[in-house]
Amino acid sequence: MTTATDELPRSLTAPRGNVHFIKRTGAVVGPPLLCVLLVAALWQTMASKLHSPLVPSLAEIGAEFARIALSGKLIPQIAATLERVALGFALAFVLAVVAGIAMGRVPWMRRFLEPAVLIGLTVPGLVWALLCVIWFGVSLANPIVAVALSAAPAIALTVAQGVRGVDADLVEMAYVYRFSRTVQLRRLWLPALAPHLLSGCRFGLSLSWKVIVLVEIFGMSSGVGYQLNSAFSSQNVAAVLAWTLSFGVVMAILEYGVLQSLERYFTRWRRESRV
Amino acid sequence: MSVALTLERIDKTFVRPESGAREAVLRNFNLRVAPGELVAVIGPSGSGKSTLLNLIAGLTLPDAGTIDVRRTDGATPRLSVVFQQPRLLDWLDVETNVQLAADAAGVPRDAVARALEDVGLTAYAKAFPSMLSGGQRQRVAVARAFVIEPDIVLFDEPFSALDEITARKLRLLTQELWQTRPRTGILVTHNTQEAAFLADRVVTLGSGATRVVSDIAIDVTRPRSAEDLRLFEIHRRLLAGLT
Repeated sequence: MTTATDELPRSLTAPRGNVHFIKRTGAVVGPPLLCVLLVAALWQTMASKLHSPLVPSLAEIGAEFARIALSGKLIPQIAATLERVALGFALAFVLAVVAGIAMGRVPWMRRFLEPAVLIGLTVPGLVWALLCVIWFGVSLANPIVAVALSAAPAIALTVAQGVRGVDADLVEMAYVYRFSRTVQLRRLWLPALAPHLLSGCRFGLSLSWKVIVLVEIFGMSSGVGYQLNSAFSSQNVAAVLAWTLSFGVVMAILEYGVLQSLERYFTRWRRESRV
Repeated sequence: MSVALTLERIDKTFVRPESGAREAVLRNFNLRVAPGELVAVIGPSGSGKSTLLNLIAGLTLPDAGTIDVRRTDGATPRLSVVFQQPRLLDWLDVETNVQLAADAAGVPRDAVARALEDVGLTAYAKAFPSMLSGGQRQRVAVARAFVIEPDIVLFDEPFSALDEITARKLRLLTQELWQTRPRTGILVTHNTQEAAFLADRVVTLGSGATRVVSDIAIDVTRPRSAEDLRLFEIHRRLLAGLT
């Protein structure tokens, strides 16, 4: 009988040490930080040259941001917007994953749902926002439905493409070895779909942010969109930018703290190209 | 547990998607594999070799005829397949890939470690398949096939994607596993030397709607050597039957 004689090659063991950690962190944090600094520098240059209240300096935006934060409005308003996005996105995700899997697995369902998905993709977020304000008024259903309608088509389409891309050979292997449906779902389908799900989430979330602001401008009395509208009404550009900045920070936390971490986890098995 | 495999009057026709033309791959095909016998099936491309395995594995259904796989104790027979490509779940480590098959078959967990030891991959249990060579990946596939203690093993050109040296090592490994724990098996291959080396019997299929051209018993006891002149003579006969 053959015995285990091969030793684990060095390349299979993770490199260790602080130097590696610093290098890796630098490689991850460096480029986006550089981009942010560059945009800030350009803005500041523009503000210094124009001397206009329409283009406030970084210091003025920072002061406005601090004022909003100290007033105690920042967290509750962002929380209100986040709650609406989370509920709407969760609804969109559940519907879209079911629809996407059905579209990917059953040709009839693909042909049946495709027009709805394509129409959903082409309808501007502004239209959903206006319709939901008319239909639901100032209720929680308004932002939830608007966000779900905006995000679901993009997620469904990405999931459907992912399902069609799952290796048929692996599905056959799972059948031959009599994997249970649960094992197939947990060990085959979800990991195979994970990159598509994440990409769908990213796209869907970006659409959600856009539509929630519109919904809050037109039909809500709280949230970041409502605050943006108030700042706009009073011609306070620094406040508009401060609220936008706060929103950007939340999105960055979601992107770098949640989505990219999940992406790294789900693709940790992939071998990196040597070139 | 020994299991006999019988295919009787099998018909299988495919419809070409581009033209809609119907193409009979198997017509009135019969094959019997005795308990513990490893039968190699060789033949030109399109002769229905892979269709035969897909039918036995349940991946496709026959248009007519019966496939009878029966254990003498009446239990459902365990079947495993070593595919041409390893078909591993790349996001799971080697051990888990084998473990899933073992769990599905209700085999105790310690069998996984033994299976990996049998194929010389104990040190790679926690490695992802993407970190392994082609030969090592196919060893994982062999471990997965044997860990479930199968009654029937189907080999679908299992070593054809490997270089000759690696393929040779894996043929020796398969012979060792077969000698230790004989099963009922079918080996589909293009390689007549491989067929002669591993099988107890070699069935040669002709082109067109499948017919058996020859059925040669290989009366050479295991362990066999690839340099055995008797195998070379069988290989020569098989080649003559194909041309």
